[in-house]
Amino acid sequence: MNACTDSRPLIMSYLDGELSEAQAAPLRKHLLECQPCRASAQDQKNLTRWLSTAKQVEEPVHVPRDFAARVARRAFQGDRGALTVEAPMAVLPQRRDERSFRFVLVLTAAAAVIVLCFAVAIRQMTLPTSSRMMAQDENVLPLDKTIQELDRLNARDCEAAKPDVKPAEAGRRP
Amino acid sequence: MEARVMEPQPADDLDLVQETVAGTQASFELLVERYQSRMFALARHYTKNPVEMEDLVQEAFLKAFTRLDTFQHQSSFYTWLYRIATNTILDWMKRRGRSPVTSVEDPELIGEPSRVKIAAPDAQMERNETARITHEVLEHLPDIFRQVLVMREFEEMAYQDIAETLGISIGTVESRLFRARARFKDKLLQLHPEFGQGE
Repeated sequence: MNACTDSRPLIMSYLDGELSEAQAAPLRKHLLECQPCRASAQDQKNLTRWLSTAKQVEEPVHVPRDFAARVARRAFQGDRGALTVEAPMAVLPQRRDERSFRFVLVLTAAAAVIVLCFAVAIRQMTLPTSSRMMAQDENVLPLDKTIQELDRLNARDCEAAKPDVKPAEAGRRP
Repeated sequence: MEARVMEPQPADDLDLVQETVAGTQASFELLVERYQSRMFALARHYTKNPVEMEDLVQEAFLKAFTRLDTFQHQSSFYTWLYRIATNTILDWMKRRGRSPVTSVEDPELIGEPSRVKIAAPDAQMERNETARITHEVLEHLPDIFRQVLVMREFEEMAYQDIAETLGISIGTVESRLFRARARFKDKLLQLHPEFGQGE
């Protein structure tokens, strides 16, 4: 490995101690030979010094009084943490489903109301008005009276169909 | 570089975990006491609000408690707890719209790093002043970069641990860390050009 383009990406890992010896050995050799790559390595070392200095002088943290006791008590009371409930990745799809379900419900209700209104309107259109009579509203005899009338007509027809012979004439026949 | 996540007393932790799972509240309290400072120090990198800080740490411990029976003992308790805390912070950042996975397509995130070299902190400068400037720069970084820098530079985690904690490959850790350092340098030089050394 001699090319700077191959070496540069490895410098950071080398300084972090993340390279195997098989990878580190050729890189060290290249750094000895290549001034620009040595400068790049020095640049990264300087950068790390900023961060390591900050780490060394980190102020002590302030832990609230009785924090451990409170957390342990809550844990044993079954508290899974207030933040867990609000986890959006789990909750948001559910909320989205609820919203969709409600929307479908409202849509269905609205459709039902519209269909009902149409049905009532059509029914109203078929009802008689003062200027328009429907067939069923004309003077039609009820069924029993119709049957009686038919019987009466049948009886009359039967009477009319009988031969017109008088009893006296019948006695004179041989 | 030895990782800070290595625990000096893993056997004690294991005993406390087993006692907690068996129902001993005092054992869990001891575990919390043992690691609460480090958890607060971790949370402090993401928020300066003490109430939010306390909420995050408490949430991490409560989550850990509910999963204690899944603790595999393959890593130290602190490493296991640290992962839970990190994920808790990631979730919190997502809820607040501070996505830690800020789009890598953002040209600002993938811009060419400055060719200007950076000077080491001035030996004459107060260490507290160096720390103040460093934290000021860190606060200006996108969460995705601040996160890996905190893990590597402050927690001294190995690449492998960072990869496992974030659920990404080691290659991604390397590239993200590389860009994070480049962004740190750019922002430092932007805020304090006096620390530049020229091309």
